[in-house]
Amino acid sequence: MSWGTYWVVVGTCAATILASRVLPLLLLKGRQLPDWLSDALGFIPPATFAALVANDLLDPGMFDAGLWPGVIPWLAAIPVVVVALRTRSLLWCIVAGCAAYGLLLLIPSG
Amino acid sequence: MRESLKAAAPIMGGYLVLGIPCGILGAQAGMSALQIGLMSLIFYSGAGQYLIANMVLAGVPVGSIIASVSLVNTRQLLYAAALAPYTQSDGKLAATAFAATVTDESFGVNLERYQSTTAAADVDAGASFATRWTIRNATLVNVFSWLTWCGANLIGVFVGEQLQVPSELAAFAMTAIFLCLLLCQPATRPAVVAALGAGVAMVICKWAGLNGPAIIVSALIGIAAAMGVRALDASRADPAATQPAVSEAVA
Repeated sequence: MSWGTYWVVVGTCAATILASRVLPLLLLKGRQLPDWLSDALGFIPPATFAALVANDLLDPGMFDAGLWPGVIPWLAAIPVVVVALRTRSLLWCIVAGCAAYGLLLLIPSG
Repeated sequence: MRESLKAAAPIMGGYLVLGIPCGILGAQAGMSALQIGLMSLIFYSGAGQYLIANMVLAGVPVGSIIASVSLVNTRQLLYAAALAPYTQSDGKLAATAFAATVTDESFGVNLERYQSTTAAADVDAGASFATRWTIRNATLVNVFSWLTWCGANLIGVFVGEQLQVPSELAAFAMTAIFLCLLLCQPATRPAVVAALGAGVAMVICKWAGLNGPAIIVSALIGIAAAMGVRALDASRADPAATQPAVSEAVA
């Protein structure tokens, strides 16, 4: 890729992501927030994590390659849920999820 | 330092397996090792880097690439806002350095540490000070994750072809992280509504073909739903109040 194109794309994207990452924190920091706003900020984690999980597990094209490939992530999510509720450990969740996913990939879709 | 490394370890593992295919993809999109290394340093966004490489490969015009990537990354606005209350007593420079290196995963891990150590401190005010999660801890988690990401990208560029990591398996490591972070959230009524609302909204966004801003749009809808429940609960608890009372449910 030419350096000219590279800097236009990467430079601009880096600037917009930096603004998204930093500005809200600097704007809200050091202020006495009204109760409704601090409650709203408290709802950000469950809402964003749910959106990220749904984003990974759901897609209009998920069954394009057949039923089985679309179901694999859902089946692999089951041990992750069990491990998450029992251990609350990210590391064990990754291990359980990826092990389950890897084993499920070995099963031919028929 | 050790605390931060321990907290960052799952992210580092995930970034290692996800960063390698990202480096391979970048090289396939015609970027040099230097370009890929610099991108992971100054841009540092897994989703964004995958998107850039895929769009370059698909021959998408530069303007559309920038618009799509920037839109996808607006979800970072929410992370910064959610972290703000925990950085009240920190300096501007430290807060900026911390905020500039936040990702989906490090946001989750640091927020969880902030929440749990603050809760513990509220219970036991005497012993709390040393164990409270600090901006130094949090920034170190970011830096460890950041360096791992850069390293993994470069491994992908140089030795990637020999390492056959199925990309969907690598991506599932992140799904497992998000799922664990979601399930570790306190299950108050409005929080559950926030999660369900965001999940349903994501389905609608995706099937409507709204992919770029889907995460932030879904999250905002979930938050709005939770605020609705919160107002409803408050008015039920105190029918006379016109303004919703203080809810202590989520700190």
